[in-house]
Amino acid sequence: MNPHMLAQLLVQLIVIITVSRLIGRGARWLGQPLVIAEVVAGIALGPSLLGWLAPGAMQWLFPAESMPFLKMLAEVGLVLFMFLIGLELDPKLLKGRGHASVAISHSSIVVPFALGAAAGALWLYKSLSSPDVPFSSFVLFMGVSMSITAFPVLARILTERGLMQSKLGAIAIACAAVDDVTAWCILAFVVSLVRASDLAHAGLTTLFALLYIGFMLLLVKPFLARLGARVANREGLTQNVVAITLVLLLGSAWTTESIGIHSLFGAFMFGAVIPKEGGLAAALAEKLEDVAVVLLLPVFFAFSGLRTQLGLLDTPEAWLTCGVIIVLACLGKFGGSAVAARLTGLRWREAGAVGILMNTRGLMELIVLNLGLDLGVISPTLFTMMVIMALVTTFMTTPFLKLLYSPAEQARDQLLHTPEPALPASSYTVLLCVSHGQAGPGMAVLSRALSGERKEANLFALHLLSPERSLKARGEEALDPAAASGGALAPLVGRAEKLGLSVRTLSFVSSEPARDICRTAQAKRADLVLLGWHKPLFSQTVLGGTVHEVMQEVGGTVAVLVDRGLSQVRRVLVPFVGSRHDRAALGLARRLVKQAGAEVTVLHVTSPKDSGSGTGAGRAQVEELFPADEGASVKLKVVRHASPEEAALEEAKAGYDLVVVGLGAEWGLEDRLFGVQRERIVRDAPASLLLVHHPEAATVLAQTPEQARTQGTAPETTQPVGARS
Amino acid sequence: MHLGATLRLLRVDAGLSLRDLARRIGVSSAYLSRVENGVDAPPTQERLTAIARELDVPPGLLMDVANRVSPYVAGYLEDVPAAGTLMLDIARRQLTGAQLARVRAFLDAEFPLREARGHEPVPPLAPLLSPERVVVGLSCGDYEDALDVAAGRLAAALPGQDAAALAEGLRKREDAVPSQVGNGVSVPHAFVAGAAPVAALVTLARPLKLDAPDGQPLRLVVALVDGHVGRARLMRLAHVARLAGRGLADRLHGLQDPRQVLETLEELEALR
Repeated sequence: MNPHMLAQLLVQLIVIITVSRLIGRGARWLGQPLVIAEVVAGIALGPSLLGWLAPGAMQWLFPAESMPFLKMLAEVGLVLFMFLIGLELDPKLLKGRGHASVAISHSSIVVPFALGAAAGALWLYKSLSSPDVPFSSFVLFMGVSMSITAFPVLARILTERGLMQSKLGAIAIACAAVDDVTAWCILAFVVSLVRASDLAHAGLTTLFALLYIGFMLLLVKPFLARLGARVANREGLTQNVVAITLVLLLGSAWTTESIGIHSLFGAFMFGAVIPKEGGLAAALAEKLEDVAVVLLLPVFFAFSGLRTQLGLLDTPEAWLTCGVIIVLACLGKFGGSAVAARLTGLRWREAGAVGILMNTRGLMELIVLNLGLDLGVISPTLFTMMVIMALVTTFMTTPFLKLLYSPAEQARDQLLHTPEPALPASSYTVLLCVSHGQAGPGMAVLSRALSGERKEANLFALHLLSPERSLKARGEEALDPAAASGGALAPLVGRAEKLGLSVRTLSFVSSEPARDICRTAQAKRADLVLLGWHKPLFSQTVLGGTVHEVMQEVGGTVAVLVDRGLSQVRRVLVPFVGSRHDRAALGLARRLVKQAGAEVTVLHVTSPKDSGSGTGAGRAQVEELFPADEGASVKLKVVRHASPEEAALEEAKAGYDLVVVGLGAEWGLEDRLFGVQRERIVRDAPASLLLVHHPEAATVLAQTPEQARTQGTAPETTQPVGARS
Repeated sequence: MHLGATLRLLRVDAGLSLRDLARRIGVSSAYLSRVENGVDAPPTQERLTAIARELDVPPGLLMDVANRVSPYVAGYLEDVPAAGTLMLDIARRQLTGAQLARVRAFLDAEFPLREARGHEPVPPLAPLLSPERVVVGLSCGDYEDALDVAAGRLAAALPGQDAAALAEGLRKREDAVPSQVGNGVSVPHAFVAGAAPVAALVTLARPLKLDAPDGQPLRLVVALVDGHVGRARLMRLAHVARLAGRGLADRLHGLQDPRQVLETLEELEALR
């Protein structure tokens, strides 16, 4: 290269970079990615515009003899760029994205590939290719070039629109990553096929390629991981490390070039195996990005532009063909991914957005096309058509995305966590409301029985301080703020610790305890609100005051524990007549059977006037709640008695640990705000009692699916309206 | 208050990536990351202004968060020594926040400021609160419990909202970006389409040891719910961070009456 040539090259660089940056400003203004501008700049400097307007100027600027240098520079730039693409490819994106991404990415390759290959085979091969190009190579190449998605452009569009963190963005980027890897593998195969003179050679190339991939994954990757760890731990990215990586990169590119699957594949592969944890990948990207993207990549675009000759499309038929190619490309890519996305359960709007995003071909398509042109698989005319196709599909992404997925829509999806998966089948949550220390131990025992051996329950203990008391407590125990609340919760926590339960405690000042219990239960999605009871000062009833309010307001089951020294839950009695509260009581008892192996006796009381039929009905209901396999530890006792309350009391004296009883007039348990008389069953039963209340129109807990269907899960008024729409 | 944590909170809420913001203000993403983690010195006035411009919040607000007596003020005092005397007068009278607000109101009335946008007043926090949404003296073992309690109060103010969904929303944002802004304050926030902005405030009787950016245990949770994304929301977040910097957690600690809490807050933010 003589000095004159160097001057020539420098001028070329200046012009290329300046023009593409200038057009880039315009592209930004249009909301387009920079790639568009760079491609357009390349075309403008080539024979399509500059060569057409001022052939002399183009001859002077890009003389034919300077092309080899430009080409070399462009190739080096591409190697660096493909390395960066590989660097950006986080293997985490490929793994564990679930069903949706896999389906979408596969169909977004298969459909356009099939369309491209079919078009190539049936139509384009005859009209736009020469017979000396092997049929199979041409068809495969058309398929690949249709199924490319530009990972970097996509990433840039997603970042610019702030979609990277959204579900949509995650799906799109994961699909693009899969597409990228797949497309490059197919392409490597196609290239090897074209370059190999016969089938034996092709086989050999494939073998070498597989050996190379194995070498990279088994030997180079662990080495790089060690290098990465060193960079992360100690010296940071020194120039020595950069030198090592660059040498390895060039070596990798050279290897693949010698094998016959093109240097780009090696660069990409090397970037992909660099560990993304630690700082190595990020630091390398930062160092190389500017040189590769700002300086060298525009050269590549200019070079492709110089080879794009719009003049070749001089007939209406040619333009028509070009149009059909564009339509086919969009149809395959957009249609394939959008339909697949819709089938995986996205809304049409989101599915469409995914389709549009996947349709971005950007510069990856250009790289593929240049490869095809170099290999002689496609003619300059077809090259030009495909370049236009790449430009159009990239260009339409941003406006269409805006149209279909407006910023407002996006903001909603992004912040609203709409794609909230059905709430995880969370474990059983119990909110223990302790107003007084003495209720604690009994509640701990009961929670232990409810959560079972494997501690399958989330337990929260709530203690609400009244404003006056907290002030007093503050005066006395100012030194230890926790003591004020710890006082009431301590017995419960102490007992729970002994039983090996983990309880999360929570206490604050509240002037409306009932409402705060409800709110907390709601926020915790509590399945059961367990209230402790202790002898109140004035009122004698258990079910008055705060308990009453809580029962009125909480959307789930509420149980009040009347503790008479509950230390184990072995024998449980459930009086039963069949109200919704009774059913909830049975549900709780069922849980006790399952989790703690308790023995449950169901006492079914029928009226003496009733003849026979009631017994059957009661048995049926009990059996419905206790499937046969659990039935072993459940005894059903049927008693005829004029007063169910009496019958229950009599039975309760037979040495039970716990009586679980639903609210209801039958048991003398009515839910009311004020009452002077203590409920009789509470007063006279020797065992501990659990009084169960279940709101209307809510489903009984621990129910079987059959019941859920028969009862109908009526929507609760507390369901969020906006949050999950 | 921790400037870095606040910047990250605002950046994520504005939907910008580290790299984006770094590129737009012309610094390396490594530097910005160091600033957010509090490893590097706080950015200079010019950089803060650039960040404020990109986030679309008033530069003065960020300056306040950074607790910077801006060089602008220093320069002015040098140019007009009389102004310094005035400052001294104010200091000698030990004017409280409320009184300063009156001085400010007088200034606004007498010498209205004609300046471009970016200087409109920051919306105060107190009007978004009400005694029902102030929880005092919470003691709990886990940050999530505090969020749940706040969500419970917020749900009461948002018709049709379910406390658990709100708590979930707060938690999701928390996962995206930690909402602790230092000085023992955290600002969990959620988005509920179309809702009017509303806040809940929880003071902790037992400070929670979390890994706060400045190592201070958490003593105050200010939960915000918003129906719109954008400037106002960011300004509210930054405003809470600024209040944190002015010792909000210390002032509210130990107060037992929600009304008292609100009064203290109003006094503290009288001068915005």
